[in-house]
Amino acid sequence: MSAEARITLTVNGREISRTAGAHLTLLRWLRDVAGVTDPKYGCGEGICGSCTVLVDGQPVSACLVLAAQVDGATVTTAAGLLEADGSLGPLQQAFHEKHAAQCGFCTPGMLMAAAAALADGRRRSRQEIREELHGNLCRCTGYAPIVDAIEMAQELRWPQAGR
Amino acid sequence: MAAGGPVSADGAGPGLPAGIRTSKEDELRVVRQPLPRHDQAEKVAGSTRYAGDLAFAAMLHARLVRSPVPSARITARDAGEALAVPGVVGVLFGEDVPHNVIWVDVPGQTVEVAALKASMEVLATDRVRFHGEPVALVIAETEDALAEACDLVAVDYEELPAVFDPDQALSGGAPAVHPQGNLLGEWDIDLGEVDAAFAAADVVVEGSYQTQCVDHAYLEPEAGVGWLDDEGVLNLRVATQVVEHYRDVARILGIPEARVRVIAPYVGGGFGGKEDMTVEPYLGLAVWRTRRPVRMQWTRQESLLARPKRHPMRLRYRTAATREGKLLGQQVDITADSGAYAYLSALVLLYSAVHACGPYQVSNVRLRARCAYTNNPPTSAFRGFGGMQVVFGYEAQMDLLARQLGLTPAEIRKRNAIARGDVLPVGQVIETEVLLAQTIDTVLGRAGAKPRASGPRKAVGRGIACNMQSYGRLVWLNDSAAAWVGFQLDGSLSVRCAVPDIGGGQASSLAQIAAEILCVPMDRITVHFGDSALNPLAGTTTATRQLLMSGNAVYEACVQLRDSVRAAVAAATGEPADSLRLEEGMVRGQTGGMRLADALLACRRGNVPIEALGTFFGPKGKPVVKNLRADRVFPDFTFGTHLCDLEVDLDTGQVKLLGYVAAHDVGRAINPRSVQGQITGAVAQGLGMALLEEVVVADGTNLTSGFFQYLIPTATDVPEIDAVVLESGEGMGPFGARGIGEPPIGPPAAAVASAIQDALGVRPASLPMTPERVLECLTRPGPGAGPSA
Amino acid sequence: MMFTRPFGFELAGHWAEACDLLRRHGEGAKVIAGGQSLMPLVNLGLVQPDVVIDISRAAGGRHVSLAEGFLTVGALITHANLAADSLAAGTQPLLGAAAGKIGNARVRGRGTLGGSLAHGDPAAELPLAMVALGAAYEITDGHRSREVKAEEFHLGYLTTALAPDELVVAARVPRLGPGWGWSFQEVSRRDGDFALAAAAALVRIAGGVIVESRVAVGGVSDRPVRLADVEISLTGATVSQIGGRLGPIQGIRPVSDTSASAGYRARLCRVLVARALAEASSRSEEAA
Repeated sequence: MSAEARITLTVNGREISRTAGAHLTLLRWLRDVAGVTDPKYGCGEGICGSCTVLVDGQPVSACLVLAAQVDGATVTTAAGLLEADGSLGPLQQAFHEKHAAQCGFCTPGMLMAAAAALADGRRRSRQEIREELHGNLCRCTGYAPIVDAIEMAQELRWPQAGR
Repeated sequence: MAAGGPVSADGAGPGLPAGIRTSKEDELRVVRQPLPRHDQAEKVAGSTRYAGDLAFAAMLHARLVRSPVPSARITARDAGEALAVPGVVGVLFGEDVPHNVIWVDVPGQTVEVAALKASMEVLATDRVRFHGEPVALVIAETEDALAEACDLVAVDYEELPAVFDPDQALSGGAPAVHPQGNLLGEWDIDLGEVDAAFAAADVVVEGSYQTQCVDHAYLEPEAGVGWLDDEGVLNLRVATQVVEHYRDVARILGIPEARVRVIAPYVGGGFGGKEDMTVEPYLGLAVWRTRRPVRMQWTRQESLLARPKRHPMRLRYRTAATREGKLLGQQVDITADSGAYAYLSALVLLYSAVHACGPYQVSNVRLRARCAYTNNPPTSAFRGFGGMQVVFGYEAQMDLLARQLGLTPAEIRKRNAIARGDVLPVGQVIETEVLLAQTIDTVLGRAGAKPRASGPRKAVGRGIACNMQSYGRLVWLNDSAAAWVGFQLDGSLSVRCAVPDIGGGQASSLAQIAAEILCVPMDRITVHFGDSALNPLAGTTTATRQLLMSGNAVYEACVQLRDSVRAAVAAATGEPADSLRLEEGMVRGQTGGMRLADALLACRRGNVPIEALGTFFGPKGKPVVKNLRADRVFPDFTFGTHLCDLEVDLDTGQVKLLGYVAAHDVGRAINPRSVQGQITGAVAQGLGMALLEEVVVADGTNLTSGFFQYLIPTATDVPEIDAVVLESGEGMGPFGARGIGEPPIGPPAAAVASAIQDALGVRPASLPMTPERVLECLTRPGPGAGPSA
Repeated sequence: MMFTRPFGFELAGHWAEACDLLRRHGEGAKVIAGGQSLMPLVNLGLVQPDVVIDISRAAGGRHVSLAEGFLTVGALITHANLAADSLAAGTQPLLGAAAGKIGNARVRGRGTLGGSLAHGDPAAELPLAMVALGAAYEITDGHRSREVKAEEFHLGYLTTALAPDELVVAARVPRLGPGWGWSFQEVSRRDGDFALAAAAALVRIAGGVIVESRVAVGGVSDRPVRLADVEISLTGATVSQIGGRLGPIQGIRPVSDTSASAGYRARLCRVLVARALAEASSRSEEAA
């Protein structure tokens, strides 16, 4: 039985290997061990979606996954949607233009949920976009500008989730 | 419902977001533009560091031990076992706090109103009064050590009699939550001849309404990091709406105020829940004792348990009117649950009293508003601050009257709408234009035809609700805000203002105002905000006051600066100062121009400062006493109307929102997209209170222990909202702006109740309007259908 | 942020290894697959394991296959994959419909059939679907397998027939013949929330009347309840006679909690059973 685990994750294209408590959730591992703070702690119940990251392209609640369970995986956070030169990626650009972030706390998770949903290339109606987002809570915007932003990103036929 | 698209009949150009209408011509270039906010690029990049995102080497962690019972005497406290856990550095009790008391003392407030002298302990020593009250502070090297140690702090409680209902608390014989008795505050209004008015009335309608306990549920739970800097100054970087709390922390620790600094980073939502202190005193204590950096992160469950919430209120109304629908009199009785400690309760009730009759003219009013201590979770500030609960009452009364008299909801409201020159029951004269009727017409016009029911076991309803909500703080609080604006030598601009930015674009608006006056492009302006030591203080980000206060302060500083530059250029060139205009990178006159950088050098050579401090003082007034009567209580108000279409499932009681229109006069929309975002966000929060949210407390035990129970609206619970912005230009903020942060949270519950009444003939009288309560309406007898909105 | 006491982690490569680990570590051991049920309890401090045994990457056990009149669904299949599985959709659409109603995309992407069945939440969709379908679960302790009918597996609130060292390996769903219609109905406060009440119905109509039916409800007792009385009363009924034959629902014991009262749940139950029967009947008529 191991109380500590050596975990290697490729986070936003960068390989990070650390030894830390085996009980750490992926969220704690990213934030406190790897210093990747864009996924946020909002509830610890997997409900608010602020901790949404992509693991091998799939959206997960990082607070409900043990880092040890996904050893070796590729993890994408909001920072991983940036272009190589550090400028905003197309989805982020759409969020920016449509004022989809007010306090911004839900935004990293919301971006990952949107990125995952849009990856299949299917054009969604506003109602369908809302259905994709219903697992990500926002308390500031009332969702309208977020739906606007994703609709805009769809129009631009932005291609693929994560790197 | 009409699709979005520019609405203006007044020549507003293309490029404005749908729903913006102007009522005046103007030449604003930057203000009124829907510019992306400068903070948003970092937020969407994921690089913004919130209070819990900062970490220091050798950082400690702190966590509170809280009372599991609502009312008890503490008979023993032992930290022995907890201290034995490896990694635990200390366990603090109340006796370890240099001054173990928090006064309810919002900066700038006088103590002339007796109810505001209440206090509470930082850590309880002898008694606990609510489930979740802090009793001990545990400090450890790791969060894991805290998990074990907090369970091992041994506290013995001897339960004491308790009271959980405010009416009961105010009746004789209830256990006293505090020695001075359970009545915390009372406000009365006695205006005109109420009994005569009711005797003479053609119709009197009566109703009793109950609003519930609601949590702010910001996505960012309370958090912060503290450390001692190289000067030995205590730094607290915390999620807060009020950096001035450095004074309270200094008092608690017994150190000079100048030795404490509070930094507010971007905050992940406030809504009033981060207006009182949260982690500040505990972080301060932990850093002071250990001399090491400390982080404190509350769990969501802790936040739901123990953060002060929205006051539940019982509202009893009797309303008298003529058969033409003109209001003759209002009798209002409000009882609010303040929970175990006062916090801002007395002020919340004051707001309720001032707003209780709504945006309607009425000359005979008897009102009594009281708040009572109970052993329930404490209640305090929450968007709307008492002015929003009463909307549920006064709008219900208007609809009741409409039904009795055969008028439409729109007609009865228009007949009574307050106007410039009218006097509110509290005595304040309305000095600005009131576009209430226009907002009513706007929502009805944009909503189009009422939708049809989708099946035989469904019923569709439409409801409207109007409200007024103050912006700016109570005038006797001597409110002020300051901002420093300074040119850099290359013509770029720095703004320093300690305003906390909680997501409403508080900092960004200041840049937009500066850009407008000084013609500096937005990307060459930096706003340094939220730092009590390095920036001029601007007061709380609450009460929808920051645009009015810090906005005006920046405006003043920029005007000073503009005039300085013009004077220096006039002296250097001989051109008359008032013929000079600032443009991007240039100062242009009749005969030519000078590069801005050269103009700034001319200022330096002429001993003219290229920086300015602007201070804006809010309107003044005399403090009010229990019998409310004042020439002015608030600077001004924002008025609006919402419309809701919904469908009720007659078998399950489920409510499906089909459409929503919200129209407010915002005076001037500094950033139209930000304004719409405030409206849609507030509507969503209001809909949550209307249909979904409730903090359930049973005999003082807070049963709401997670987001699996506390249900806030998701993207599929909020319909498309048509947010329409009207601009009368008559607000007291910069460029004629009115505040918009709080006003749109008031109408949703009333609009939904009104729509349910339209669908079923019966109106729910208590919140939230769960499917179960809606079904109960079907079995209750009702007055039947009346004219639709 | 989430104050949890440290625990150990063991990776199990296959079912037998997991069961051995359960035996070795005893009461302090918890099995994790998708973590959607276990981790919220751990994060809130309600469950404090000494060691967590991860079977999420165990070999096999995550596919759908059809043989000898049974649809076999591996316990490690995620809800998302079950909802999207074409063989399941073609053979027994009720399964995918139930799986598709669970939570949100993140929950469905990690949560597993086995996890949901073993957790035993009375409002959960998949246990209800399995009871309605007359499914049975294949259970192993690493050495021996046994089969338990769904109705006998779910014993009470978060209580199942699993011994401490046993795991659910697969569900075997009898393939119903041609002419059956199905329906899954639920009411929750918001999309994806726990159901306040749910109903699953399968109906076969022949010659204009209901020949056979299977009806079960969830969220209104401490486990999914098969409504055998209702099934009996429906035999021989035309579609328009369903309402008349549907009396008060017996055998349910709904609770009152912060979400809803017992009375409301009971009322919902009746409404949802009626709706499920109506929809299942019309699907049966289409299938004919």
